[in-house]
Amino acid sequence: MEYVNPEGLRLDGRRPMEMRQLRAEIGVVSRADGSASFEMGNTKVIAAVYGPREVQNRSQQMNDQALVRCEYSMANFSTGDRRRKTKGDRRSTEISLVIRQTMEACILTHLMPRSQIDIYVQVLQADGGTRSACINAATLALADAGIPMRDLVTSCSAGYLNSTPLLDLNYLEDSAGGADVTVGILPKLDKVTLLQMDAKLPMDIFENVMQLAVEGCKAVESHIREILLENAQTLVIRQGYGS
Amino acid sequence: MLEADLECFFFDEAVLYLSFHTWDKKMVGLSVGERNFIKGGIAQDLRNDGRKRLTYRPIYVETGVIPQANGSAKVKLGATDVIASVKAELGKPSLSHPDQGKVFIYVECSPTAEPSFEGRGGEELSTELSTALERSLLGGKSGAGAGIDPASLLIKEGKVCWDLYVDCLVISSDGNLLDALGAAIKAALSNTGIPRVQFREAASTDEHADVDVSDEEFLQFDTSGVPVIVTLTKVGRHYIVDATSEEESLMSSAVSISVNRRGLICGLTKRGGAGLDPSVILDMISVAKHVSEQLINKLDSEIEAAERANEEEP
Repeated sequence: MEYVNPEGLRLDGRRPMEMRQLRAEIGVVSRADGSASFEMGNTKVIAAVYGPREVQNRSQQMNDQALVRCEYSMANFSTGDRRRKTKGDRRSTEISLVIRQTMEACILTHLMPRSQIDIYVQVLQADGGTRSACINAATLALADAGIPMRDLVTSCSAGYLNSTPLLDLNYLEDSAGGADVTVGILPKLDKVTLLQMDAKLPMDIFENVMQLAVEGCKAVESHIREILLENAQTLVIRQGYGS
Repeated sequence: MLEADLECFFFDEAVLYLSFHTWDKKMVGLSVGERNFIKGGIAQDLRNDGRKRLTYRPIYVETGVIPQANGSAKVKLGATDVIASVKAELGKPSLSHPDQGKVFIYVECSPTAEPSFEGRGGEELSTELSTALERSLLGGKSGAGAGIDPASLLIKEGKVCWDLYVDCLVISSDGNLLDALGAAIKAALSNTGIPRVQFREAASTDEHADVDVSDEEFLQFDTSGVPVIVTLTKVGRHYIVDATSEEESLMSSAVSISVNRRGLICGLTKRGGAGLDPSVILDMISVAKHVSEQLINKLDSEIEAAERANEEEP
């Protein structure tokens, strides 16, 4: 199948190095301590953060740092064909773990000993790149909850199909069988915190594809920063400090 | 007054169930002072958020939120936030009712709404809400009193029918989930388009019957008969509509009544540990009937506004 046509356009009309439209909103779950929704094209996820709060299970309490927990769940209607999935299957357990580790690496856990931070991500629509969208939503929700972080973690995926590196794969491209590289970075510290790839790629092409994903992460970061700034400005105005 | 009211009620296969409520007993963490304050406010017909006992919170409807579904809607009731989606699949009618399609309602409670829904924590509440909704909206086993006529889902008797899967997701919860879910399902069904289907009989016995699904023509449901659910929560000596989770934590019992546009009762559920005087239940029903009229009108205008907003968007 042709994923990039001779004019250089992809199935959904994007250029190889073009991202899908990003949309984000802060404060979508009013009762959570922090929450955000994040959309990458047709992929839509919601993240809610509860904490820092008392540790629920005493045996998990740590005296020198906060406990970070994460649960990933997919709505029944999120995929094209309706499927009733059991909670806690292998895929969601793995994604929960990935998100937890990525977020834990950027939260300043040592500032909140003997406490617990819960991150819940809920996929409303899945169209490829849910992993990345979840991490981006979780970053926004953590920032909204006012949890101290080293940096904003952002994530994006890139792939390689028809001898072309492609940024931000959708479901069709993702299931095409080519390589899929998901990268998460700390943009200001310039560090990679998450790197996953399946299928195979020659070494030199991998470098290109990964570089493309990193560029995507940086684009996401600038969008997230804009959203946070906008949110901070409205908060300032609501509190009556605006001019 | 009660006798006169009674005559206009037909219990449309209404079933009275006593069940243990899981969602009202959750810890909200109120002090004795706060509890007394809320109770005192309800007794004086002025609640914490300034509402009267029989006033709903503002309700917002958005339709078409899930593009892959045949129909979907998001309903916000104060800080309660739910999504309902309708997916139609071709299925086979059941042997006991070969002349009807099937409707299934599933509710899922996302941990984003409440950390205690994590893992399997929300399962009990999900099941309780699903069965309460099925009881309120789908009528009895024969299909009588259903909000959506199951016979309208039939394509070919005994062979092919539509199976409607109504999936709901609770994103944020601040009390009165059942009413919000009921409203979301009503809105999602109004938003639903089912493809027109041509059924071709098999030419010979060894050939399979053919089903032609049109991807251009869509049929809309008649949703005017879908009931709304009104939950009356008893706190102290009074009862209130649209309780927040703080108020639900103080309830002694609650009655959820589903009423359709014609004022008929389509289902009834009583929850809560404390017993209710039968005359109080009848009184509650007449109040619910009155409240439901306003709710149906409000909901219909919100759904219409949401549909219009969808059409205007490119």
